[in-house]
Amino acid sequence: MAQVIANGVYLGAQYALIALGLTLIFALMNVLNFAHGQMYVLGGFITYTAYGQLGLPFIVALLASGVTLGVIGALIEKLLFRTVIRRSVREESTMLLAAAVAYFLDAVILLLFGEKQRGVPKIVNGVFVSDALIMPYDRLLIGALAVLFIGAFMLFMQFSKPGRAMRALAQDRVAAQLMGVRVDRYSMIGFALGAMLAGVVGGLLVAITGVNSGIGGPISIKAFLMVMIGGAGVVGGAIAGGFILGMIESVGLSVLHAYGDITYLVIFAALMVFLSIRPNGLMGKPWG
Amino acid sequence: MSSTSKLFSALAFLLVTLVAVPWLITVTRRLDLYYTLTSVALLAIASGGVWLTFYIGRINIGQAAFALMGGYVSAILVVTYGVPFWLTLPLAGLFCAVASILIGLPILRLRGVYFAMVTLVLTEVARLLALALPVTNGAKGLVNIPLPGSTTLFGVTLIPDFATLANPRLTFYLISVVLMVICYAGLYRLVHSRVGRLCLSLQQNEELASSIGVNVAYLRVVIYAVSSLLGGLGGAMFVAISQSIYPSSFTITDSINFMLNCFLGGLGYVFGPILGTFLLYFGWDLLFQTGRLQLLIFSSVLIALMLILPNGLLSLRLFRRSKG
Amino acid sequence: MDDLLQISRLTKQFGGLVAVSDVSFSVREGEILSIIGPNGAGKSTLFKLASSFLRPTAGEVRFRGERISGLAPHVVARRGVVRTFQETTIFKGMTVRENVIIAHQLRANASLLGYYFASSVARRDEAEFGRSADEILAFLGLDGIRNDPAVTLPHGHLRALGIAIGLATNPTVLLLDEPFAGMNHDETMRAVEIVLGVRRRGVTVLLVEHDMPAVMQISDRIVVLNFGEKIAEGTPAEIQQNQKVIEAYLGVEDESIGI
Repeated sequence: MAQVIANGVYLGAQYALIALGLTLIFALMNVLNFAHGQMYVLGGFITYTAYGQLGLPFIVALLASGVTLGVIGALIEKLLFRTVIRRSVREESTMLLAAAVAYFLDAVILLLFGEKQRGVPKIVNGVFVSDALIMPYDRLLIGALAVLFIGAFMLFMQFSKPGRAMRALAQDRVAAQLMGVRVDRYSMIGFALGAMLAGVVGGLLVAITGVNSGIGGPISIKAFLMVMIGGAGVVGGAIAGGFILGMIESVGLSVLHAYGDITYLVIFAALMVFLSIRPNGLMGKPWG
Repeated sequence: MSSTSKLFSALAFLLVTLVAVPWLITVTRRLDLYYTLTSVALLAIASGGVWLTFYIGRINIGQAAFALMGGYVSAILVVTYGVPFWLTLPLAGLFCAVASILIGLPILRLRGVYFAMVTLVLTEVARLLALALPVTNGAKGLVNIPLPGSTTLFGVTLIPDFATLANPRLTFYLISVVLMVICYAGLYRLVHSRVGRLCLSLQQNEELASSIGVNVAYLRVVIYAVSSLLGGLGGAMFVAISQSIYPSSFTITDSINFMLNCFLGGLGYVFGPILGTFLLYFGWDLLFQTGRLQLLIFSSVLIALMLILPNGLLSLRLFRRSKG
Repeated sequence: MDDLLQISRLTKQFGGLVAVSDVSFSVREGEILSIIGPNGAGKSTLFKLASSFLRPTAGEVRFRGERISGLAPHVVARRGVVRTFQETTIFKGMTVRENVIIAHQLRANASLLGYYFASSVARRDEAEFGRSADEILAFLGLDGIRNDPAVTLPHGHLRALGIAIGLATNPTVLLLDEPFAGMNHDETMRAVEIVLGVRRRGVTVLLVEHDMPAVMQISDRIVVLNFGEKIAEGTPAEIQQNQKVIEAYLGVEDESIGI
């Protein structure tokens, strides 16, 4: 049982980090970023190249993933989303753009890194063993790093100037603008930050599960699930959603091990029932 | 447009698709184009359903679930129970409509991205169900489905037995186009009747609509059922042509593409999805020659189109009119 | 005069916050009753409760003796209790006339299928809706702009359109949400005329409002809320004399009672 819970927490921390990026972009710009999973994959491949191929320290590789994705995110916001949001009659148009960007990133990833599953050498060796728990040290480290990043992100949003500006923006775009928040600038920073989070998790998980070009879509869907569970556009919701999905998956896979895909079927079905009772998730506001 | 010019455009469309295109294909010997065009017609039917849910203000990324459901219902009826295909086609549509009512009652209360995400998940649920249920034969799918037989009405053969035809592809093409025309004529009438106005009132403000006595929940479910019916029809027809169906026959990619078709044509235009489907499917096919660059070019063009025409291709027409 | 709408012991809590607390009053047939109160007094919550757009935590709303609280808004509208919204809530993608025509849904005799296939009942309905819409638009002085896109209207007209939409439902009681908000003196006077005209059509009016002079001029009776509780009820003259009301308003600086 302790094993299942530990796995759930470890998984949940990764998931929460993914969901945070998605929910941030949604809260700031009302954009459902279909390309989130692809950003994650790209981050994974960058860490794979820097750490696995070039032999740079893991933390440097992680940094490279984060920075690259941040820049890509900023460019995507500035060059694409901003224009489309301004010129489109219906705000749903951003979904088409996000889907097209997802395809685009998929294509780029496929061309640059091919379709093989890639892995990297273990970052630390050894396994933690106690009576109730067996956990490789690298998983512990990655889990701890993820928790650390979540904490850093929350502190940043709570206390830094950009963080406060973005929270104001998420709450009420017009009011924030009247208060002198530079909407364009912070939309870009927010998008960059969301993309960066996706890239960093991709980098983190490459050390455990490796990466391949096909997992972008499924990762996006999991991120959507977490955001729906917790409530779209709410930081606390994303974290809660991440840990809940991590835990359910961990429990589900150990209980329904023999049935494989049934676990996800059960999760999906349960989610639809849950959402019909609580349409805005655990903490979401009815603003979607 | 006056009603005579409407009639004229409709006749011109039928003439081109039912006479000119087959003639061109025969002349150029590009028989493979029949399959492509048939696919466009059938996917356009499913996309039309997605467009209709957009029309009541819901972003539907779950149409592949109903296409898959329709396909399986038809295939199972044909293979396991020996029901004639032409009877399974309406049954598949109805099955999807009824299922969508049950699913829609709870989820249609969701709005905006929540509805979008739930329908996306629905697509995945459908795939997993198809894998898990005994009747669908799991990942192996249902294969070697017999071609549709003949159908007669009052002794007149409406559709001949496909197995005996020299050129079944042409017949499939003609039937699919006719089915598409019927579906879109229905959609056109819906949008231009008071029902369409009521849909528009939901799209623009559900609270206001309910304050003037519109039964919002009922209308939403009815429209979603029509939408899913179109998805089921498209899916069932598709299976009849490919003679096989797998859990992966319609996936999340298809759901997203149905949505893209609507966007690309323009959400404000009933016939937008036909144009969108045609361009997206043909564009993808044409780019096949570029090999590894196919997806890159395809997505770049999509992004460029979004930047230039964020309101869909048919908004060009609107632009011209407002200028002149 | 009979009690048409009875609000009895209505309470609404949001989390720990009590927005409306144990409020009771009645609206009589044919009168104009206004609900006033300082900002945050619970006026708009009470308004939504009365029109069944919110479910009360306790208490109930009865219309002609039958309970309507807890019913779906469209059902309540069908019974004859219809609300309007503040000005931006119209069907933005339609013309003025289309807005009013669509609002005739409660008078529809045909079913969805009837409209789809243009049955004779549906055609008769649509002709009747068009005629009635034109009559309402003329009544409210909107006939000159009936084919304008609704989004382009200035806000005086938007408010009138909101009322036109309400009238199209043929209501027994019309609930108006701040019909004079954000208007200058002349616009307010025109709006007052419109509301009086609505009553002359035999419609009972319940309105929520900030603008004190207009409320004093137009209302038969007034209910005053403060901190979610009813502190006074009476004719405008009585309300102006009421010590509790004066205190409640003196506590708020940016609001003038306008006496």
